[in-house]
Amino acid sequence: MKKKIIAVTPKKMKKPLLKKISRINLEGQIRLLTRDLNVIKRQLKRGVSREKLSKEKFRGEVTQGVNREKLGADREKQGADRERLGADREKQGANREKLGAGRERLAEEQFRLQTDEIELKDGQLREGADREKLAEEQIHIRTKAMEATFDGIFIIDALKPDFPIIYANPSFYHLTGFTKNEVIGKNYFLLYGVVDNLHALEEIKQALLQGRSFQGELLNSKKNGEKFWSLLRITLVRDKNGTVTHYVGNKTDTTLMKQRNLEIEEQREELLHVTRVGKLAEFVSSLAHEISQPLTAILSYAQAAQRMLKDREPQLQEVLQYIINDDQRAAEVIRRLRYLLKKSKPTFELLDINTLIKDTITLMMPHITAKNKVIKFESGSNLPSIQGDRIQLQQVLLNLISNSLEAMESSNDSRELVISTCLKDAGTIMVKVKDSGCGIPEENKLKLFGHFFTSKPDGLGMGLSISRSIVEAHGGRLEAENNPDRGATFYFTVPVYMKKGQ
Amino acid sequence: MSANIYIVDDDESVCRALKTLLMTYDFEVKTFNSAQGFFDNVAHDAPGCLLLDIHMPGTDGWEVQRKILASGSTRPVIFISAEKKDNASVRALQVGAVGFLQKPVNGQTLVDMINGASKN
Repeated sequence: MKKKIIAVTPKKMKKPLLKKISRINLEGQIRLLTRDLNVIKRQLKRGVSREKLSKEKFRGEVTQGVNREKLGADREKQGADRERLGADREKQGANREKLGAGRERLAEEQFRLQTDEIELKDGQLREGADREKLAEEQIHIRTKAMEATFDGIFIIDALKPDFPIIYANPSFYHLTGFTKNEVIGKNYFLLYGVVDNLHALEEIKQALLQGRSFQGELLNSKKNGEKFWSLLRITLVRDKNGTVTHYVGNKTDTTLMKQRNLEIEEQREELLHVTRVGKLAEFVSSLAHEISQPLTAILSYAQAAQRMLKDREPQLQEVLQYIINDDQRAAEVIRRLRYLLKKSKPTFELLDINTLIKDTITLMMPHITAKNKVIKFESGSNLPSIQGDRIQLQQVLLNLISNSLEAMESSNDSRELVISTCLKDAGTIMVKVKDSGCGIPEENKLKLFGHFFTSKPDGLGMGLSISRSIVEAHGGRLEAENNPDRGATFYFTVPVYMKKGQ
Repeated sequence: MSANIYIVDDDESVCRALKTLLMTYDFEVKTFNSAQGFFDNVAHDAPGCLLLDIHMPGTDGWEVQRKILASGSTRPVIFISAEKKDNASVRALQVGAVGFLQKPVNGQTLVDMINGASKN
C-alpha cells in the first residue's frame, strides 16, 4: 500500500500522510504505554516479584502485539476515514497540546519507573555482591585451613581415567618431598610406585573401585628415598547423583609416633627381661635350696659310711669317695649359680672405669697366672666418671675375663688377653675384652647371650645373659665379635655420668 | 661320756644323715624336724651343742636362737643352711652362735667346729 502511494504522488502525498500516520502512531503508542504503565504501576503497588513483573510485561507485550495488529487493521480503516480526519485536524491540533502534556507525564512516569527498577536491581546486585563476598571469605578460610594443617591433603579427580591429583596442600609437599610440578596431574599410585606397599596399594585400589573409603598405615618413601610411616585416609566425594567425582586423601606422618611406640616396646622388653632374670633368680634360688638338702644328706651318708668302714673294703671306700666328690661338684655348681644370680639391688655410685678394671684384674691375677696367661690393660686417658653398681660391673668383667681365659685354655701359644677402655663418643665409654682364643663359632653367635646357652662342658649358660642384663640396666650394650686374626672381642658400653640438667 | 648333739632341720633325710655321720664320731645325737619339737623335748639347761637349720617353715633358725638366748641358755649353736644369704656367717656370729656352715656340710669341718665349741 505504501508503495502505491509513493508511486502515485511521491511528494504531494508524503508529508500530510506521514503526519497523519505518525500522529495515529503516537496516539496508539500513548494508549499502549499508558496501559503498560498502569499495569506496571499496579504490579509495583502489589510488590510483585521481578520475575512476575517481567512475565506480566511479556503478557503486556503480547497484548501490545495484538493491539499492533489491531492497529494495522485500524490503519485501513483510517485510510477511509482520511476525510473525516482532515476535518478533525483543528480539533486534533488542540488535542496536541494535551498530548504534549500527557507525553511529559508519561516520560515522568517512565523515569520514575526506571528509577524504581534501577533501585530494585541495585539492591539485588548489592545483595548478590554480599553473598559473593561471604562465599569468597568462606572459600578463603577453608583454603587457608587446608594449607595450614599438618596433615598432607590431596584431591584426586575421580572422573578422569588416570585419576590425576588436582590439588595437594603444602604439608603434602613437605611430607613427601615432591614439588607441585611432580605431583599435580600425576596418579597417586604412580607417585609412590609399587615397591614399598604392593599389598596396601592394591587394597586402596580395591576400596576405591568398590566405592569405599580407605584407611591404613603405610611405609612410604620420600622423593629422596627416606622412608616414613604414614596414616593414609582416602574419602570419597560424590555429586548430587551419587557419582564419585573426587577422592580426598589425608596423609598423617606417624613416623615419630611409631618410633616412640617402638622405644616404649623396647623399654618394656628390657624391663620384662630384667623381670625374667629376677624371676629366674628366685626360681633358681628355691631350686638350689631343694637340691642342697638331698646333697647334704648324700654327702653325710657317704662320709658316715667311709668312717664306718674305716680301713676295711678299700674298693668300697673308693666308690664312696667318688660319691662324695660328685656331691661336692653338684654343690659347687649350685653355689656358682647362686653367685651369678645374686639378687641384690644395684647401688649406683660414681665410678672410675679404669680403677674398677684394675681392681678386677688384681682379683683375677692369681687365676690368670695359674693358667699361664698374660693380661694387658690399655687404659684410655682422661675418661669421665660413670655411674653404676661396682659389684655388678665387676661381675660382668669377671665373667668376660673368665670366658676369655677359657677360650684360650686349649692352646699354649694363645696367651694374651687385652682389656682396653676408650671414649666412644662424648657420652659413652667403651670397654673391650679381647682374647686370642678359639673365637665364636658362627652357629653360636646368635645364641651367645641367651639363657642356659653354653659351649663349656660344665658351664651353666648364665654368665653372658646376666652380664648383658647388667650392662643394659646401666644403659649400655654388651656385644661380641670375632677378631680379624684370631680370638674374639667382647665389648660393652656405659654412659658417662651427666649432672642433672646437663 | 660322749657329748650331746641336737639337730633341728625340717628335712628328715638331712637329720638322719647328719645323725648317722655324727654317730660315727661317737656323739649322742637327737634330731627334731621343728623348733617346737626341740623346745618341747630338751630342757634349756640340758647340755649339748645345737645344729640349727635357718630356713624352716614356722619358727626359723634366727628365731630359735633368740628364744634360746632369751631363756638364759648358754647352749652353743651352729647354723647350717643351703643358702649363704643376708651375710649369714657374719650374722650368725653377731647373734652369739659358734659359726655358720653351708650345706652340703663336710663331716670333718662340722666335727671340728663342734669340738671347738665344746672346748670354750
